Amino acid sequence: MPLDTLPAVRAAALNGRYRHHGATAVLEHALRDPDVGRTALVSSFGAESVVLLHLVSIIDRTTPVLFIDTEMLFAETLVYQQEVAERLHLQDVRVIRADPARKAAIDPDDTLHLRDTDACCDLRKTVPLQTALEDFDSWITGRKRYQGGKRSDLDFFEAEGDLRIKVNPLVHWTTQDLQDYIAENRLPRHPLVAQGYPSIGCAPCTSRVADGEDARAGRWRGTEKDECGIHFVNGKLVRGPLPAAVEMAATDTAPETARDETNGAPAAPETTETVMNVIVTDDGFGPDDWTGGFAAPAEATTQEVGIDLPPDTAPDALETVLDAPLVRIDFPSFSDGRGFTLARLLRLRGYRGRLRAKGHLIADQYAMARRAGFDEVEIDGELAARQPEDQWRARADWQAHDYQSRLRARIPA
Amino acid sequence: MYQYTDFDEAFVRTRVAQFRGQVERRIDGSLTEDEFKPLRLMNGLYLQLHAYMLRVAIPYGTINPGQMRQLAMIAERWDRGYGHFTTRQNIQFNWPKLKDVPDILDALADVQMHAIQTSGNTIRNVTADHFAGAAADEIEDPRPYAELLRQWSTDHPEFQFLPRKFKIAVTGSPNDRAVTKSHDIGLRMVRNAAGTPGFEVIVGGGLGRTPMIGKVVRDFLPVEDLLPYCEAIVSVWNLLGRRDNKYKARIKITVHEHGIEEISRLVEERFATLKAAFGGADQALLANIRAAFAPPVFAERPTDGFEAARLANPAFAAWADVNLAPHKAPGHAIVTISLKKHGATPGDATADQMRAMADLAERYGYGELRISHEQNVILPHVHKADLPEVYARLRAADLATANVGLVSDIIACPGMDYCALATARSIPIAQEIAERFEALKIEHEVGPLKIKISGCINACGHHHVGHIGILGLDRAGVENYQVTLGGDHTEDAVVGEKTGPGFSADEITGAIERIVFAYLDLREGPEETFLQAYRRVGMQPFKAALYEKDRADAA
Amino acid sequence: MSRQFTPKVVTANALLEGDAVWLTEDDRWTRDIAEAELIEDEAHAQIRLIDAQSRKAEVVGAYLADAKAGTAGPEPVHFREAFRTRGPSNYAHGKQEHASRP
Repeated sequence: MPLDTLPAVRAAALNGRYRHHGATAVLEHALRDPDVGRTALVSSFGAESVVLLHLVSIIDRTTPVLFIDTEMLFAETLVYQQEVAERLHLQDVRVIRADPARKAAIDPDDTLHLRDTDACCDLRKTVPLQTALEDFDSWITGRKRYQGGKRSDLDFFEAEGDLRIKVNPLVHWTTQDLQDYIAENRLPRHPLVAQGYPSIGCAPCTSRVADGEDARAGRWRGTEKDECGIHFVNGKLVRGPLPAAVEMAATDTAPETARDETNGAPAAPETTETVMNVIVTDDGFGPDDWTGGFAAPAEATTQEVGIDLPPDTAPDALETVLDAPLVRIDFPSFSDGRGFTLARLLRLRGYRGRLRAKGHLIADQYAMARRAGFDEVEIDGELAARQPEDQWRARADWQAHDYQSRLRARIPA
Repeated sequence: MYQYTDFDEAFVRTRVAQFRGQVERRIDGSLTEDEFKPLRLMNGLYLQLHAYMLRVAIPYGTINPGQMRQLAMIAERWDRGYGHFTTRQNIQFNWPKLKDVPDILDALADVQMHAIQTSGNTIRNVTADHFAGAAADEIEDPRPYAELLRQWSTDHPEFQFLPRKFKIAVTGSPNDRAVTKSHDIGLRMVRNAAGTPGFEVIVGGGLGRTPMIGKVVRDFLPVEDLLPYCEAIVSVWNLLGRRDNKYKARIKITVHEHGIEEISRLVEERFATLKAAFGGADQALLANIRAAFAPPVFAERPTDGFEAARLANPAFAAWADVNLAPHKAPGHAIVTISLKKHGATPGDATADQMRAMADLAERYGYGELRISHEQNVILPHVHKADLPEVYARLRAADLATANVGLVSDIIACPGMDYCALATARSIPIAQEIAERFEALKIEHEVGPLKIKISGCINACGHHHVGHIGILGLDRAGVENYQVTLGGDHTEDAVVGEKTGPGFSADEITGAIERIVFAYLDLREGPEETFLQAYRRVGMQPFKAALYEKDRADAA
Repeated sequence: MSRQFTPKVVTANALLEGDAVWLTEDDRWTRDIAEAELIEDEAHAQIRLIDAQSRKAEVVGAYLADAKAGTAGPEPVHFREAFRTRGPSNYAHGKQEHASRP
């Protein structure tokens, strides 16, 4: 199909072609399918952008990545952008900014956002992006259906008026899928996420999100604004959801089926072993010799599978895993010590199997992990490189100088 | 007092060696600042406004002359010749260099001291009644239990990365001098119906942003269950405590959110599991520790010299009236050395003063010293006959200020003169108030009155439980001081009540003066203390005096 | 009505000594705020902050602090930053001890 065919027609054809594919396949084809043409990834380097960046970096790290610097971003975002680009070896990151002359004319003192957030987005985001996209036939976004009420009908491919095609590979992912993917692949997290900013945009318009609030509630809090105006209909800008006619033209496939074909999970596992994890024991570093796989307690179908426990596991739930051959407890951050108490309670309840701590533990915590009842620690390659074997082996003497074993010894009455 | 065993010695030495390695690894880049920070905090090292700050533990406030001299040496060799005693019975050095810290820790280990767990999200230095082992009203010396808790909490593998910091205080007297109701766990010794000593266990107290008075989770805990019970509390909180918001992470919020009944149920359940894990070694250890805290053999001598000096020397008499407390042994007294000379920095002692106090303890005090949470130093056992000589030597060291428990015996956190978290200064306010009342010469007339100043909402200066509390805030780029009245830190703990709008740094001393004059007008007689008068008449008359500007001019 | 960008300096604590330092235009860390680079442009401020934050072997906790142009160079605006240029008010143990200017 020639590229001068209407984008709406091409999008419909593409949706038909890829209706049964998962995110990776869609992305892989988007980067190669001639119907898609020249394509770029547009990324905010926000809270969850790293997933798409990682997927793209694995398929083709020369893909142009457009980063819109509104010049109002959090400093953390700018640092994170550099860090992620380096870590994923992205080779063509293009920083897009507003035209200085236009900015000087419209918003000379950087206060436009106080008066008119739409105009501010227009100046700093929409117009620069539109200009940058003129060189492309399609672009990839990280938009998801769940992300806000107004996006619930998104599909993999959307026509953007008669300009180009928008590719949304993550359209069927949920927050949990993204979090899992970030965790599985040990991807760096945006530093502000830990501080309660799940959806990160410009500093002036972003606030923290309370527990249980919609993740994007923090953006444009206190205003009616809900959607950044990056949409084009028939070559003209529109804000908010696409008009129904365009939406229909772009959507001729039942969206639910696509997710079914991904077996209920993001189609990404094949990419997780890019950096080998290391297992630390008293003997130092070694490869992972566990071949039984892992499952959540509720999903363990056989007695042989290893059990993955999240840090918020309730103490009573520990009873159900006492017969597992291996239990792996997650440490989302080295400063989160819940896993130590879970390990101890497991041992006190009689668990005798293999017990592994997994995630961000540092060498200085090795003795704590061993004393709490863990047999081994699973760390990623990056941490293993930064804190090499000798730093871990230095605490292989964990049984020495231990007040606890001294206090708990059994003294015959 | 307790002497390190070979085990303690080896532990502390190993820990210093580990920290030396961690400092090297921070400098060579294998530890990031994010990773190094909790490790340095676990070893008491902060980064403050102008420099690093090392907080050294003085477990349950007990220290011997050799240790005090070593602190003096450290102050001179690696710091600026002084140290700052804190409201948690620790000492802080304000000017160490990162590379020197492992050497300082080695010097501390030489005298059986350390800086372990004086910071970080872990169980902090256990505090105790500063009159422990000497007070006339004591059921039992609480320090053996505090030492047992110190050993249990030190390097506890489960509890190094808690949701937030965790503080335990213990008192052996029904009269609470350890502020137990403002701690995460407060242990107050009581007797049951059979007369057996045990602990009333209080949980979920705290000051800071959300002050809360602790709640009783167990009326009577047999002393042999101390470790498994405390472990159950911390273990339940480690899983239940909030990690999404550091302002809601302390156990006081967990107790508040789940209710004391639910917490009590969970703790008792966990206690049942954990008790089995203690096999009796802790009780054997406790017996050894108790022996180490056996009181000295108190001399029996006449006290005539003391009575004579009182009559002959009014300055000595004034000092004796306020700086002495009743001792359990006949002929003895507890001496509080005020580190609150009018105009000086509350809690600071120079190296020379530290040595002078060490000498006094050695010569007249059975070799014992204590640090109080009120930032003074205690000679717990002094024979009354020696008091005139002790007083003379204190005068020579500029340590004889007679103001313990009075207006100028002010608790003040370091505030914005040192602390990176502070929102306003505390020290200059304390200095100015003390000097004002010294100039007025009325503080002995005013009698017992506790002023406590914090330089930020974290309340290290205990302002919530001061009879007069002062909280320094930043209001639009200007220091502003908010006043609370009626707080009480004892077994009857109460959080003070805000008076109304705050005062500027220039106005606050005058405001405090108006409150004190209002008290003098309102009281029924000299025997009615400030707190009693406040409880009788309430906030209103004080508020009227405080916000009536003309009054200050007239006064 | 319009919000002006308040000029900034990049400041931090020195890793080894722990004292307050400021970033100069030629990328040195100075102990005298008057030698610091006064940044008048918000975007440039962000870039300079990123530069500073990447120098992890030299400083800890870099941030942007409000400042104003003075006769000798940048001066602090907030009282906290003013204390950082001097030291504590109870003893002359901070930078005021070696202050070269009155």
